Amino acid sequence: MSTSISTATSTRTRKASGSTTPEDSAARRVDETGADLACPGCDLLVNVAGLHDGESAACPRCGHTLTRYRADASSRTLAFTVAALILLVIANSFSFLSFSAGGLENQMTLGQTPGTLFEYGMPSAAFIVGAFIIFIPAGVLVMMVGLCIPLLQQRYYPWLRTLAKGIFLAQNWAMVEVFIIGVIVALVKIAAMATVYLGVSFWAYVAFAICFTLAVASLDRYQCWQQIEALESMQ
Amino acid sequence: MSNAHTAAAVGLASCHLCCKLSPAHLQHCPRCGSRLHLRTEESLQRTLALLVTACVLYIPANLYPIMYTEHLGAPTEASTILGGILLLIELGSIPIALVIFLFSVIVPSGKLMVLFYLCWSVHNHQVMDAKQRSQIYRVTEFIGKWSMIDVFVVAILAALVHLGDLMVIRPGVAAISFAGVVIVTMIAAECFDSRLIWDNAEQDQREH
Ligand SMILES: [Zn+2]
Ligand SMILES: [Zn+2]
Repeated sequence: MSTSISTATSTRTRKASGSTTPEDSAARRVDETGADLACPGCDLLVNVAGLHDGESAACPRCGHTLTRYRADASSRTLAFTVAALILLVIANSFSFLSFSAGGLENQMTLGQTPGTLFEYGMPSAAFIVGAFIIFIPAGVLVMMVGLCIPLLQQRYYPWLRTLAKGIFLAQNWAMVEVFIIGVIVALVKIAAMATVYLGVSFWAYVAFAICFTLAVASLDRYQCWQQIEALESMQ
Repeated sequence: MSNAHTAAAVGLASCHLCCKLSPAHLQHCPRCGSRLHLRTEESLQRTLALLVTACVLYIPANLYPIMYTEHLGAPTEASTILGGILLLIELGSIPIALVIFLFSVIVPSGKLMVLFYLCWSVHNHQVMDAKQRSQIYRVTEFIGKWSMIDVFVVAILAALVHLGDLMVIRPGVAAISFAGVVIVTMIAAECFDSRLIWDNAEQDQREH
């Protein structure tokens, strides 16, 4: 899957310009080295131009995965993102888990996970849990819709940079897959004491977590920023 | 590997957010506007400060109860992280006890130790293979958020189990300190600049 990369001179052409703004001199400096990016893990200059569809490039020195090129990245990301958003709405609308013991029953929704912490006087914990499992993932998804549609339409707006920045800053703080394992551990923990039923929302959340993970994985940091820059220069 | 192959060696700074290469004298990335540095500023000091904070938070996280269980008629049971694991072993749920032990004890303490070691290794020009060290760093960075499992378990149990007088589970303060440990170590891992490992290796090679 990985192609070997070298620091050989790039033959890519760049936007020609006569002025000497810092940006242009940066472009010239980059052209002299022939590199497209420096490995975030070890700073080695690498050339990742000419990747074919589906190919990814890894750093030859430290092994860090640098970028993956997919011709249909934006539409792929948009599809998973929209699916994930719909599933998240479903996950918030129905019963998540229900629990019965000794003739008594209790039902909970997804929102009650942070909600109960708040009721027990732990607003900071409620805020953290709510952010990690609902609000940060939802925010990232909304920003990804806003980013992918203009990318697909080949239109440039200055706020695309703000959106991309927000997405790449926030995406490490979504913990949807961790939460699912947490639910499973909790279920096994109380399975002996009572009967637990998985609600519609639970399954919707599992599907949401899969779509969310695929959406985030489809949006490649380097390729995405290159595309934004290319759209801007086309104006 | 000669020094000339890195971006820093030719005076280029790589943006941590958008990967753009720009001249190192610029304050901000021309593409995304993030602050631009050759290496994360004060990386070792910041990482160490955060690690010490995490260690301090780790004490109440283990001493105070993370969860209270109230059964009808029985006195309230308070369980700490370790107490909860021992209880699970007593009840015979070995696999779940192992999962919680792995993510609530091994991962956070291991992560603290690895980051301490990496800071020390960069500071002292340790000889351990740079590639191995950067692999260890990547694993640490990836695995960090999985420690939140125990906090989520408490949140779910508290929301799910309140059956009047029959049975109630309440969250304990240790949940907050433990969440703090996880978040602070995640930030510490982000602050640690793994390029320093390679700068070290290069410097050592030139000297020999
Ligand atoms: Zn590398
Ligand atoms: Zn940037």
